[in-house]
Amino acid sequence: MRQVRLPQTLADLWSLLNKDPTALIFSGGTDLFVKMRADKVAASTMIGLERLAALRDIREDNGDIRIGACATHENILRHPLIAAHLPVLVQALRTLGSPPIRTMGTIGGNICTASPAGDTLPPLYVLRAEVEIASSKGSRSVPIPDFIAGPGQIRLAAGEIVTGVRVKKPAEFNLHHFEKVGQRKSMSCAVAGMAALLRVTPSGAIEACRLAWGSVGPTVMTDAGIENFLTGKILSPDTLSAAARQVTRMVMPIDDVRATADYRRTVSGNLLLRLSGMENPTIELKRQSPSEGM
Amino acid sequence: MDIQIPEIGKSFARPDAAAKVTGAEKYAVDYYGDHLLWAGVRRAEVAHGRIRNLDTSAAARLPGVMAVLTGRDVPGANRQGIVHKDQPVLATDKVRYSGDAVALVLAENRETLKQAIDLIEVDIETLPGVFTVDEALKPDAPVLHEEHPGGNVLLKAEIKAGKGESALKDCHILIEETFDVPMQAHAFLETENGIAWQEADGRVVLIASTQAPFRDKWEISHALGLGMDRMRVISPYLGGAFGGKDGATVQCFLVLAALHAGGRPVKMWWNREENFAAGYKRHAAHMRYRLGANSDGTLQALHCRLYYNTGAYAHLGGEVMALGMEHAGGPYRIPHTLIEGWCVYTNNPIAGAMRGFGVAQVSFAIEQMMDLLAAKLNINPLALRKKNALRRGDQNTSGVTMTQSTGIGDCLAALAENPLWLKRNDWKQAAGPFKKRGVGVSAVFNAMGYGRGLPDSAIAKIELTEGGRIRVYNGVTDMGQGNATAFVQIAGQILCQENTRIELVQPDTDRTLPSGSSSAGRTTYTYGNALIKASESLRRKIIGRAALMLLADTLDHLELLPGRVRDLQSGREIPLEMIGSMMAAEDRICISQFLMPVVRDKLDTGKGFIIGFPHLIFSYAAHLACIEVDELTGAVEVKNYAAATEAGRVLNPQTFTQQVQGAIAQGIGYALYEEIKMEQGRLLTPDFTTYHIPGAMDVPEISSQIVETWEPSGPYGMKGVGEVGSNGPLPAIANALADACGIRLTCSPLKQERVLEALSQSRREGGS
Repeated sequence: MRQVRLPQTLADLWSLLNKDPTALIFSGGTDLFVKMRADKVAASTMIGLERLAALRDIREDNGDIRIGACATHENILRHPLIAAHLPVLVQALRTLGSPPIRTMGTIGGNICTASPAGDTLPPLYVLRAEVEIASSKGSRSVPIPDFIAGPGQIRLAAGEIVTGVRVKKPAEFNLHHFEKVGQRKSMSCAVAGMAALLRVTPSGAIEACRLAWGSVGPTVMTDAGIENFLTGKILSPDTLSAAARQVTRMVMPIDDVRATADYRRTVSGNLLLRLSGMENPTIELKRQSPSEGM
Repeated sequence: MDIQIPEIGKSFARPDAAAKVTGAEKYAVDYYGDHLLWAGVRRAEVAHGRIRNLDTSAAARLPGVMAVLTGRDVPGANRQGIVHKDQPVLATDKVRYSGDAVALVLAENRETLKQAIDLIEVDIETLPGVFTVDEALKPDAPVLHEEHPGGNVLLKAEIKAGKGESALKDCHILIEETFDVPMQAHAFLETENGIAWQEADGRVVLIASTQAPFRDKWEISHALGLGMDRMRVISPYLGGAFGGKDGATVQCFLVLAALHAGGRPVKMWWNREENFAAGYKRHAAHMRYRLGANSDGTLQALHCRLYYNTGAYAHLGGEVMALGMEHAGGPYRIPHTLIEGWCVYTNNPIAGAMRGFGVAQVSFAIEQMMDLLAAKLNINPLALRKKNALRRGDQNTSGVTMTQSTGIGDCLAALAENPLWLKRNDWKQAAGPFKKRGVGVSAVFNAMGYGRGLPDSAIAKIELTEGGRIRVYNGVTDMGQGNATAFVQIAGQILCQENTRIELVQPDTDRTLPSGSSSAGRTTYTYGNALIKASESLRRKIIGRAALMLLADTLDHLELLPGRVRDLQSGREIPLEMIGSMMAAEDRICISQFLMPVVRDKLDTGKGFIIGFPHLIFSYAAHLACIEVDELTGAVEVKNYAAATEAGRVLNPQTFTQQVQGAIAQGIGYALYEEIKMEQGRLLTPDFTTYHIPGAMDVPEISSQIVETWEPSGPYGMKGVGEVGSNGPLPAIANALADACGIRLTCSPLKQERVLEALSQSRREGGS
């Protein structure tokens, strides 16, 4: 018989964790329950974080945006702060699972599951998110690429939990874009995905760009060389095609039942081409001053 | 529920709707019982092998295990099968696919059951397997059924009409192509399950999620050597089936288990993984086509070689192939045909009945052949189809004279006037960046009923209860298609009674009468015809008995009205409650049988078929798909869809449209996503994480147009509509894909990876 504990306060949580450091921590449970059904969960004690109000908060903090680890995808999707500043994350969340999954699943869970196909991860990489970690002894934060070590692997010590994720408002970017290629439109694990943040002038010059690909490597893939190649160039099909060729060499996809590595490689490059014709950014910029970006 | 007198031809809410949406309706899976035992089987997990040893001792010793049974404990023939009895209940010597059951366990709970199944040790000497048709047909191929005279060929048959393939050489135009379709899963919501127990007198009661409770009795009786009077099979509403519950799933296991359970109820419930591993599937097929026509587009000759991969056991494989062969030439006049078929055993999961039974496969082929021909002749594909469409009085591609309603021409005419067709060029022009749009059509048909050689019969029973209510004893399962709804309408229409006065009894071999399986588009047609006769008898009977109480010396002035009989002259009335209580029990019941008519042509072909060839009555549809292809990902999105469907007269527009829409949604899955992938007989798509059916966002608005004809043999002129819609989406979408970007995929599903590869190949070859 398994024990499930639902602490109401962080103090309760730390004391539970001190008693049983091997306890399995979960939030929405949408990944965990699948593993439990397949008998792939050995832990005898599970700690659910859903009652910890402190972990559900979405707020502005010193000009940054801080999202609590237990904020559900639906909460984030509907939050005005996120809608105003992080369209790239909103676009990704709209493709995640289904309404029931989005209502249960949390951003902390998506990060800690560390699936190469995690839908929130490419946006969090281009947003240069910092993962906030706490234990009974204190707290720390690490950039997300340093937190996720590989498929399903995260750098979290015993007794630590992820409490939230923090991003700077990406005010310097006026083009947010996310696209996921799944096998159908919902309830679909990404075969490939790309998040992009760009600053594009009205004449189409790329002044800054950040790109990240999901499902095409052990973790989210980024490449400073490709970003540098694009920066300063005109957002044109030719430029993007040239960058796309570099992308197909950069990504490290695998073959599986969903798609071949070749397909993933080709599509990773092709997704970049979607940016052409987006010179007139879709993002709502009313909260930004004219000096920022445009 | 609105109180109303059901009428034929008017939308009428399902009588089961309220109970289903509130969760009150009990499906088989909702039945438990006191002191319940759980049953499960150990499966071979080896695709082909000889059982050297089976050790069940550790499992039997596990506390909480009631019994562990093997093939030696099966009292009868230990063989299941509808036409060919070649499938063991529990394998004793050989296993022929990884889902073969070798031992049956009864346990106190599901945890113990699982542990016990894991403790069974089965030592199997692995034999080389055959997984593709090519492998199975090699001269030195390993043989699955040594005793079968045809080796790995379950059935080889041919249909020939006119001069056969020799007429191809005289054709001005010849089109040749080869097509492949994969296995498809039914993906019904309620997985295979049932519950059984032995009564004090030794009789076994089985409540199962089954499409064929009466035939189950025969199968169980043969396999287990149990007299048919020693069991009772009950089939509540099904949570979906689509053909996948037309045959043995849990039935023999449960009855065998009940015989060893000391009167306790035993429940078996396959989980989704077991449903994928051991449930039936739609056949994968390989199809080689040669189609000849005159230069004006008149079809002249067709030669097909069709290979159906039937998996480890016959089930209905031969019959599925037969129906595919009968439809291989489409709903067209082609005077000269040779259609050859091979139904081949392989060490794969068993292929069998699925909505569009053998026909969904060939529709992909013939309907692309038609578009290839249209392109070659530069004729509009809809016009080419209209030109060749079967009319009443024509001979079809099997040489059968179309004596019944034949509405494909009307369906095509309706589609030609659909705005989606008329405005297709404007719509295609409006595609956004990196998108290509295309519009494709298909013309499809689907036979109704069992065909010649197997009586397609139903026996309706209807009662005026002692309390004055009307009770319809439905003998043919309602798996969600709404046949039970139609039966309430028929009884209400004839007896002029409000829906609230009409009760339904669902199939129960003790209470209802043998009415065949819920399949082949024949449920409402066959049972409905029987019920019309039974209801009319009951109406006459009620009036006749009322006359006694109304002291009427003639029946001429008596009318059956809601809840009463009225003497229209005197104005006197007598309530049904009083009539019911006056009548003796045996007098309150009317029973009537109906037998579907069969083809009368004397045909000198199709002699390889044991049963089920040829068919007399067909339903028709013309489909149109508007798709958008993403050039960057290869993804195909169905943006709009239209169907014009002819199935005689429509009894209930609401359930008719639901059938059309459901079939198209399932057909879109078959077209774009669904594919059972295997490696050496092992499933690579064992669950819904890897096997994708469409979601709500993948199915567009569907415009369903009813094209009515009159089918003189049908109840109120109707024909079955459940299957025909499944056959249209795959070819319509494939044709739309060719229209959109000039690529023709002959291998389905039309998944994004295949499309992207074809697009880049077409660019390499100097396309756009």
